[in-house]
Amino acid sequence: MNHRHSRVRVSDSHARPSRRFHHAGCTIAAVLAWLASAWTPVTCAAEVFATPRPGRAFAFPRDHGSHPEFRLEWWYVTGHLWDGSSNRFGFQATFFRTAAPQATESAVDLPGFGRHHLFLAHMALLEVGTGRFLHQERLNRQGWDAGSSTRTLAVTDGNWRLALEPGPDHPERLRLQGSIRGEASFQLTLEAVKPLVIFGTNGVSRKGADPGAASHYLTFPRLSATGELRLNGETRPVRGQAWMDHEFSSSQLEADQAGWDWLSVQLHDGREVMAYRMRLKDGGTDEFSTLAWVDREGRVTHLGADGFALEPLARWRSPRTGADYPLGFRLRTSDPATGAAIQWQIAPLARDQELSGAIGGVPYWEGASRVLDDAGHEIGAAYVELTGYAGNLADRLR
Amino acid sequence: MSIPLLLLRRLAWRHWQLAPVASGLLVLILALGVAVFFAIRLANRAAVNSFQHFTELVTTQTDWILQAAAGDLPEGVLPEIRGALGEAPVVILPVVESTATRPPEGGGQRIGARETFRLLGLDLIGIQNFASGAPSAAGQRWFTESTSTTSEDSRPDDQAFWRTLGNPRAVFISGELAARSNLRIGDPLPLIINDALVTLEVAGVLPRIPDRPAAPAGLMVLDLPALQRWTGREGRLSRIEFVVEPGPRADQRRADLRAVLERLAATASVGSAPLSGAEAPRWFITTSSERREAGEMMTRAFRLNLTILSLLALLVGLYLVVQALDGAVVRRRAEIAILRSLGVEEGMIRAAWLIEAGVLGLAGGLGGVVLGWLGAQVSVRFVGQTVNALYYATSADTAQLTAGEFVVALGVSVAASLLAGWIPARAAAQIPPAQILGRQGATSAPNTRRAAALGMVIGLAACGCALLPPLRFAGGARFPLAGYAAALGWIFAGGLLGAWLLSGMAHAGAALGSRSATLRIAASHLLRPTSRHVLATAGLICAVAMTAGMIILVGSFDRTMRGWIERTFQSDLYVSSAGAQSASTDNRIQPTTWRAVSTHPGIAEINVMHAMEIRLQGIATVLIGSDLGFAERHAPPAWVVPPDSGQFAAASQPHRATPEDPALVFVSESFQERFRLGVGGSLVIPTASGPRHARIAGIFADYGNERGSIVVERTRFTEWFHTDLASSLIIKLHPGVDPEGVRSEWLRAHPGLQIFTNSHLRAEVLRIFRQTFAITYALEAIGMVVAVLGLAMTLVSLLLERRSELTTLRALGMTRAELARAAGWEGLQVGLAGLSCGLAISLLLGWLLIRVINKQTFGWTLQFELPVGALALLSGLVLASAAVTSLLVGRWGSQLPAEREEE
Repeated sequence: MNHRHSRVRVSDSHARPSRRFHHAGCTIAAVLAWLASAWTPVTCAAEVFATPRPGRAFAFPRDHGSHPEFRLEWWYVTGHLWDGSSNRFGFQATFFRTAAPQATESAVDLPGFGRHHLFLAHMALLEVGTGRFLHQERLNRQGWDAGSSTRTLAVTDGNWRLALEPGPDHPERLRLQGSIRGEASFQLTLEAVKPLVIFGTNGVSRKGADPGAASHYLTFPRLSATGELRLNGETRPVRGQAWMDHEFSSSQLEADQAGWDWLSVQLHDGREVMAYRMRLKDGGTDEFSTLAWVDREGRVTHLGADGFALEPLARWRSPRTGADYPLGFRLRTSDPATGAAIQWQIAPLARDQELSGAIGGVPYWEGASRVLDDAGHEIGAAYVELTGYAGNLADRLR
Repeated sequence: MSIPLLLLRRLAWRHWQLAPVASGLLVLILALGVAVFFAIRLANRAAVNSFQHFTELVTTQTDWILQAAAGDLPEGVLPEIRGALGEAPVVILPVVESTATRPPEGGGQRIGARETFRLLGLDLIGIQNFASGAPSAAGQRWFTESTSTTSEDSRPDDQAFWRTLGNPRAVFISGELAARSNLRIGDPLPLIINDALVTLEVAGVLPRIPDRPAAPAGLMVLDLPALQRWTGREGRLSRIEFVVEPGPRADQRRADLRAVLERLAATASVGSAPLSGAEAPRWFITTSSERREAGEMMTRAFRLNLTILSLLALLVGLYLVVQALDGAVVRRRAEIAILRSLGVEEGMIRAAWLIEAGVLGLAGGLGGVVLGWLGAQVSVRFVGQTVNALYYATSADTAQLTAGEFVVALGVSVAASLLAGWIPARAAAQIPPAQILGRQGATSAPNTRRAAALGMVIGLAACGCALLPPLRFAGGARFPLAGYAAALGWIFAGGLLGAWLLSGMAHAGAALGSRSATLRIAASHLLRPTSRHVLATAGLICAVAMTAGMIILVGSFDRTMRGWIERTFQSDLYVSSAGAQSASTDNRIQPTTWRAVSTHPGIAEINVMHAMEIRLQGIATVLIGSDLGFAERHAPPAWVVPPDSGQFAAASQPHRATPEDPALVFVSESFQERFRLGVGGSLVIPTASGPRHARIAGIFADYGNERGSIVVERTRFTEWFHTDLASSLIIKLHPGVDPEGVRSEWLRAHPGLQIFTNSHLRAEVLRIFRQTFAITYALEAIGMVVAVLGLAMTLVSLLLERRSELTTLRALGMTRAELARAAGWEGLQVGLAGLSCGLAISLLLGWLLIRVINKQTFGWTLQFELPVGALALLSGLVLASAAVTSLLVGRWGSQLPAEREEE
């Protein structure tokens, strides 16, 4: 078993971010493509913005909040919901913060209409029964209609909001309020079922050889979700489970990457798996590709690129963007608890779960999926992210 | 071919071909009438179209618009509203709007000479969401389409975004302005914003949204906080717009949104408001169509008045069409009688005549559209200047021809011709077959006494109309419909009385010129005037009455204005922003500037004036803050209803502005007329610190503002609105200080100011005032030309009928010169009858225009002035042109060959 926290390709002179960074790079590419924050040399970024330091003493709830000294930050929730009639839904709620290149150089920002930080957010909902997929993208400047607290988790973008609202019975309770135009909306209470996971070594998730190419990467791998979902003018109570990432860094992408395939799995047995395969332009898999197991107690075991394989099972071409996505994967890996070989099928719950990237012009596929074992039994729920299939993502992010 | 069409071809077309000059003249007259109406209509439309809801041209259609009842909205209401809306999917779009102009060049300080630009401050980040498919697919990508891109791979220049966002000078301009001024991205664009010369930098061209009109040339967009900074309105907003995101139950969600906004409006505002929010809401909620309508409403009275004036030429033209067709009936009596003998029925004859009138209307209409469109290109500037001076900034400089307007013009022309052709058609249809045998007189003679009696009755009825009140529209606009009915009645009555006057004048002419053969011949034709004489006279009466009436109105206005200027403008220097180029300017003088100016050692006293648009009872008006002590000492108002003794001084004392202790204010006459509130009337004035009670203590004349104004003591104004931005400064210098010297000094130090010396401002006010009347003069002049052409046409028609008489007279030894003189005398007498009756009617019209129509429309009281010189000049011109035209026609007639039928 190859168990590493991060890998460095010696030949690389640039930093390589983690899946989540790439993921942010993709979704935030909408902004980055024309906001240029992705193409600042590491050295420059490191000079202006903070870089993750090993041994950082995380303090909560403060570290659930915003870290404006870092250039990039995101809060990312995906999950699965069921209503009283067992109708199934997938949902995604993402909030990104990106700082202006000159943020730390310019004068005090305006409170109402800031120029130092932008907030991009995505909301998506899949109605599994009908295959109807709704999504919306939103961009706002820091100010009266968007922002994030530096004291606790409280991030807003228009009427969308994600906040930590601890109760006496539960200190890690989150409230999520989202909508997709006037067509759907959800208000969910998310409670951590398992403790927070901090990926990386000594609190730092290294992305490459450059010390600046790293992030602080915090995850709630399993949250219970309860609340209301309004769809088609009808409000219904829902229950389910969610996954949330919070990551902050100041690093960027490289030119030889074509994109990545990422997934998070929540197994019925109480364990989770997170994996990403970095795809290179030459069709190969990057060494930094990783799979991580989270056991029932929240302990993390990382496997390197040679510790797992993702094989596409079918393909789907987007009628909107023309992107040709792999649809469904066979995941081959090994169980760290038993050492047994594992072969799962990650099957999408709908083909069309593409976010068209209307503001920034970088489409990607982010979809609810189910996990089937060898025998075809459903053993868990998953979310899959596929980037770089509509044009050359690395060029867009350069 | 149907019988009427056959008749048309055989009868009408032949006659038209045989008399091409007269036919062409008639078409020209009708075309001129239609052209004037059409030109004004197009110009009016262009002026109205320039008042738009600009935000929608660059974003999307908004559902609700929130505006403070007075002044700006504080930025702080944005999070309050977002919080109140909770999870409701609503896009909130804050907007700052202001105006700017190009800097004055070469020290030229003519008000209204420079184009006013409309500056829109939008959140340049937030509006990107309108390109994202939500809330509606506006489809534009500002920074990818409008900012610079690298040429190789069309990838946006990423850094351009941050540069634009971080550069408060970045401005997006219209494609039209970029092309017209040859502006490229990165070019400097110097503008006067408030009183400062600000050099903006072109960041891009406003993207075009599919299915929306292109942004008007004068629209510019800046990042919202940047415009707040340039206009000194940090933390404040002009309005907030709301877009309900699409989805099910959108109407219900829209209604819910409005309910939330109304509930918030009714909550008491921050500050020591003496009234609760329920009594005077913090803001009002409107829609873009309501805003457009309000803009239209503002100028409705003005445009209606102009349209009515434009109908003068058409009205005169109608008299002449009746007259021409009537003449044709007379000339074709024999043929009609034959047709009747051959069994052609009355209905057929009538239809043939009406078709002829319709065809005439069509020809005149087509000519009118061409002439009118040309005229509109000129008149749009005049209309625009007046709209600029009185209402809002408009950059309308071209009038577009639309299919709808084309149809309207043709329709008006054909309908008018059919109306005019109705009586001649009936007369033609009634010609009996037997009549041909009788060979009755070739001309018909109207009963002048009966006409005069009818004229008296109509004239008296018109007197009753003159006493009726105006129609009132929403928004405070009034339209003096009964007043115009009275004017029409008097003009029509004048036409009827003119017939009687014409024969009276012929008797006098015959008596006076008993020794002159030419005079006797002329008089003989008028002793029993034909209907064409009568109609030509009526047309002339109509034109003279309206033109002379307008001369009296303008003369009275001019005199009143001069007196008002004399009384009002008594100080030495008048200072405003150089950007203040129209009535709706947002350009103000910053406190730093006016404080710097006020320290000049030459200043004896300074009155810092403030102005703010407010809404009372949903109607926009202006609140002015002025140093009342200064006004009393140096520029006492021209009182219409003066305040009781001591009240002027009391108005400057502190009041709590509560129902028990209201602030004393003075209102303009236009305010009184619009709001129907006089001395003692109570007002609740919305202010930035809550609603305040006021009582009207006096009414003053203000001829510079049609929307009405309220004047309060300056200290009260600044306390109510928490602003030190001044609209103008009025300065009294120490004796011996040269105003020109101070002006030059200040202009060097503050190039964004516009400074007038006393004499310069007086001249400028008079110039603007006279400029607003330029178009009326043009309309009247065309009316007069039509009337004189009509006179010529009448004589041509009559001389053609008198061919045999002319032959006889020539055979009896009369020279051609004598025959021409006879026609000249005849025309002169018609001219004289038209002039004298027209002048008499004009006295009535002058009174009506001054005391009823103007007062009801604008609320201005004018002193009556009879501009004798101008009226004498008009009389001379009318008589001379009547005589000369008649003489020329006479000479032509005297040369008619005896055998020829028509020419």
